[in-house]
Amino acid sequence: MKENIIIIGGGAAGMEAATQLQKLGLTPVIIEKSNALGGHIAQWDKLFPAFHNAKDVVSKMFDNVKDIKTYLNTEVTDIQRNADGFHAVLSNGEAIDGKAVVLATGFDLFKAERKQEYGYGIYNNVITSLELEKFFRTRKDERINNPKKIGFVHCVGARDVKVGNTYCSKVCCTTALKQACEMKEVFPEAEVYTFYMDLRMFGPGYEDLYLKTQKDYDVKCIRGRVCEVSEDMDGRLVIKAEDTLFGKPLRMTLDLLVLMCSMEKNKSIDKIQQQLGVENNSDGFMQNRDMYLGMNDSKQEGVFVAGTCTAPKSLPDTIGEARSVAVEVFNYVNNK
Amino acid sequence: MNNNIFHPFVLPFVLGMAFVLTYCVVGLIRVIWQLPKEDRKQFLISLVTPKTIWANIRDLFGDCLFHVKIWKRNPLLGYMHSSIAFGWFMIIVIGHVMLFTLKPLEGVEVEGFARSFTNFYYPIFYKHFATETPVFAFLMDFFLLMIISGILIAVVKKIYSKIVGVKRVTKFGFADNMVRFALWTIFPFRLIAEKSNIMAFWWLYSIDLMIFMCMLPFTRYMHIPTEALFILLRHAGLKAREPRKGFALAQLYSCPSCGLCIDACPMSVNDQKSGNTSAYFMKILRNGDMAEAQRIAETCLMCGKCVLVCPVSIESCDIKFSQRAAVPYEIHSDHSYLDVISTEAEHSGDPSGARAFTFGEKISTKPKTLYFAGCMTQLTPKIMRSMKQIMETAGENYDFLDKDGGVCCGRPMILSGKPAEAQAMIAKNTELIKQSGATKLVLSCPICYKVFKEEYHLEGIEILHHTQYIDELVKTGKLKVGKGEVNYVYHDPCELGRAFGVYDEPREVIENVGNLVKAKSEKVESICCGGSLGSFRLTQQERDEITQNSVDDLMFNKPDEIVTACPLCLKTFSKKSPVAVKDIAEVVVENLQANN
Amino acid sequence: MDFGFCLSPSSHVKMDSVDLTTFNRLKETNPDVNTCIACGSCTATCTAGNFTEMSFRRILLMLQRSKEEEAKKMIQRCMLCGKCTLVCPRGINIRKILLDITR
Repeated sequence: MKENIIIIGGGAAGMEAATQLQKLGLTPVIIEKSNALGGHIAQWDKLFPAFHNAKDVVSKMFDNVKDIKTYLNTEVTDIQRNADGFHAVLSNGEAIDGKAVVLATGFDLFKAERKQEYGYGIYNNVITSLELEKFFRTRKDERINNPKKIGFVHCVGARDVKVGNTYCSKVCCTTALKQACEMKEVFPEAEVYTFYMDLRMFGPGYEDLYLKTQKDYDVKCIRGRVCEVSEDMDGRLVIKAEDTLFGKPLRMTLDLLVLMCSMEKNKSIDKIQQQLGVENNSDGFMQNRDMYLGMNDSKQEGVFVAGTCTAPKSLPDTIGEARSVAVEVFNYVNNK
Repeated sequence: MNNNIFHPFVLPFVLGMAFVLTYCVVGLIRVIWQLPKEDRKQFLISLVTPKTIWANIRDLFGDCLFHVKIWKRNPLLGYMHSSIAFGWFMIIVIGHVMLFTLKPLEGVEVEGFARSFTNFYYPIFYKHFATETPVFAFLMDFFLLMIISGILIAVVKKIYSKIVGVKRVTKFGFADNMVRFALWTIFPFRLIAEKSNIMAFWWLYSIDLMIFMCMLPFTRYMHIPTEALFILLRHAGLKAREPRKGFALAQLYSCPSCGLCIDACPMSVNDQKSGNTSAYFMKILRNGDMAEAQRIAETCLMCGKCVLVCPVSIESCDIKFSQRAAVPYEIHSDHSYLDVISTEAEHSGDPSGARAFTFGEKISTKPKTLYFAGCMTQLTPKIMRSMKQIMETAGENYDFLDKDGGVCCGRPMILSGKPAEAQAMIAKNTELIKQSGATKLVLSCPICYKVFKEEYHLEGIEILHHTQYIDELVKTGKLKVGKGEVNYVYHDPCELGRAFGVYDEPREVIENVGNLVKAKSEKVESICCGGSLGSFRLTQQERDEITQNSVDDLMFNKPDEIVTACPLCLKTFSKKSPVAVKDIAEVVVENLQANN
Repeated sequence: MDFGFCLSPSSHVKMDSVDLTTFNRLKETNPDVNTCIACGSCTATCTAGNFTEMSFRRILLMLQRSKEEEAKKMIQRCMLCGKCTLVCPRGINIRKILLDITR
């Protein structure tokens, strides 16, 4: 007999987990709050480190889940544990029962307005990494007007106790370098600067990407955090940072500033998470049972976690977790 | 000696009284001696100045006897204090009046020293030696019962303070508790002794008085005699200069450790931190624990709320400043590099790194307004941008003093207890401001506002915080705003509200652009945001607790947005607030009318 | 091997004999000094740094590299305005640390 598995979240983790669960003979049901599957990754243009089209990956994922029951524009409003598993009430009025729940609720992007000193929402030519990605897809953004000098700020909302996020958001370094190269492709005449603290090039091919930015794209990396942004008479941005390797503060005039916003836990799931008894860790993400051998289990029986709901992760990390959660769920359902 | 006028049970009282009087006289001389010469002169002159004489009399009665300030804050506590203080005072006065009007000792064979000696204790043990007339008897009993009613409230407060509206009370050591117990029992013993004339109770009454008076100088009850001196010194306009000398010493002993400041202090939100409040600071400093006093002085946010709620008007912030200043630093500031800043054009291209501030044309006929954003506002570009838009919309002739970064106003240096080292900055800013030719100086940061108002000498230049400036522009019709539907709550920044009483201008501005809802604590009672530069020691986590409490207080009536008028409050609240936090200038810009 | 002379004085920081007394004392009361990631925000925003050389980040390093005198000289320029404390992403209480160094 096929068993229902409730998957909350239809992003990369939710889709991939559903695909694998179906292959294992279970019946996944995806509940997605927005009007389309794909999550954040569907809004991306190219993927690091090798500039693959995000669309290619995402459309394969879409193909894989086309036979899986999916609720769009739907949220779980109430969830209760019963003798057979879980009973979830949905915002469309329906209710579904499931043997297990997979939380694949992903992340929210840090709201750049919260760091007022960076001037997002104040100065016209300060944008976020997500908005730049959208520009790469559509080539339309009135704020990007043939910029001659472009700056990328790393760690916006990450490693920053002033906004309550002490963790590293893991993927922004590589994303910044990838986007820096793409900017060079679009505006070959532009000078591109990145302001970093540490360049965390942790994965296969990532260091190659860094070398490419230096050799082929001439992206200038300055070690120092931008701390103030203001505007000059012509409406260009004036940034202040310390060039820590040179040991002197610097000022620079830019035409465009891109803020590499960190990942934060998706808070819209807080109520359901509380009902399920899943705690948060000190970074505010969901706490898994064990860092090594229980990374997809929550501390609650039958409730599983996958993807960026537990920590910032790259796409390969997320897909790997989605596959492993499928095995965990399969074992759980069969051993019960 | 005559049995009618003497009994050995008066001796403990006499002993205690002699001790406490000697102590007070020595203390008085010490305090006056320790005053710096010019302060002493100022004090003596104030004693004969009619205006201060009147203020002295008013406050000696109003504060020492009737505790007007406690009445205003909490009538039950007010009654408790004034019934004891005023009742006791009246018993002593009536006792002496009887002694001199009815002359009960006339015909008794005592002369000279013995005569004055009897005068010393006679009114205290009156009933044992003589019978009074009915009117006096009634008055004496009335005031005695009044005192006892006050003591009953005190006992209830000790057991369950919340009944009298006090959440947190000061915790005391052995000596204080002992004296308190003595104070509580003095009057019931006297009542029993008077009514029964049992010797044992007269003895107990007298011994209680002795305990009370002998231990008085070592406890908080020393505030009873000291407060009178403190009122005189305060009205002379003195300021604390050293933490344990002169005026500050008088204040230390005037603090009754009543603990009203404990509930008021923003740090008390965490009960473990209520030891950081002024009541404890004064006690610890009085006891001479300098390291701990220094720790508290440097932890304090300097929000000034304890000073305003203090029933004795003790300037605890001033004492904390002097305590901060008392710590020796092996390094002294050197701000001579400020010399490179100049308004003169020839410096501007100087390769030595000289910087020039350039001001707009001085020829304009319109009076010029100078805007100084300040260091903190440099980190909140929205405020600077809004102010620029407001000044441009209102058609003002303005200059931006620190567009490219300016010189610190000097207030943070003063806050750290180094007022002398702030002078270089004050001098440089004064020079720049005077050279600008402006007649009006507008500041966005209340921290700057305070120091500009108090320490700068800018004759002929009006100093305004931007709340006042915007209010003026709106009222004179230079700036046309429309009224929106948003519900705003206004947070009073400490250094604008409590320090200068700028409460109405911002509220009037907000009422012009939207609906103003009330916070739970407003104006004088407003709770510091927790971000204050005043504190050097609070950790981020401790500050966060204070911020959360302040935000909760502001959210009491569920406003749509929090409005404040200080860049530091803005940044601090933004971290914890569930709704948008905006500066008043930003809110005004959002509601500017198109036809300006 | 020491022959009693050398060609030129070494410009290396002598980490074998580095004097950490002041830094260790500081660490006891301000454990957050070790959380600095040397991002330079404090230096970049510094009001005094606008006019003269002033860098809290470097002061911390100087104290860890036997350059205490240099550090103390630099501290003299501070205006204690608190901007650095406000921008520090690690929440380091910079003003207090600066005062503690001078005590």
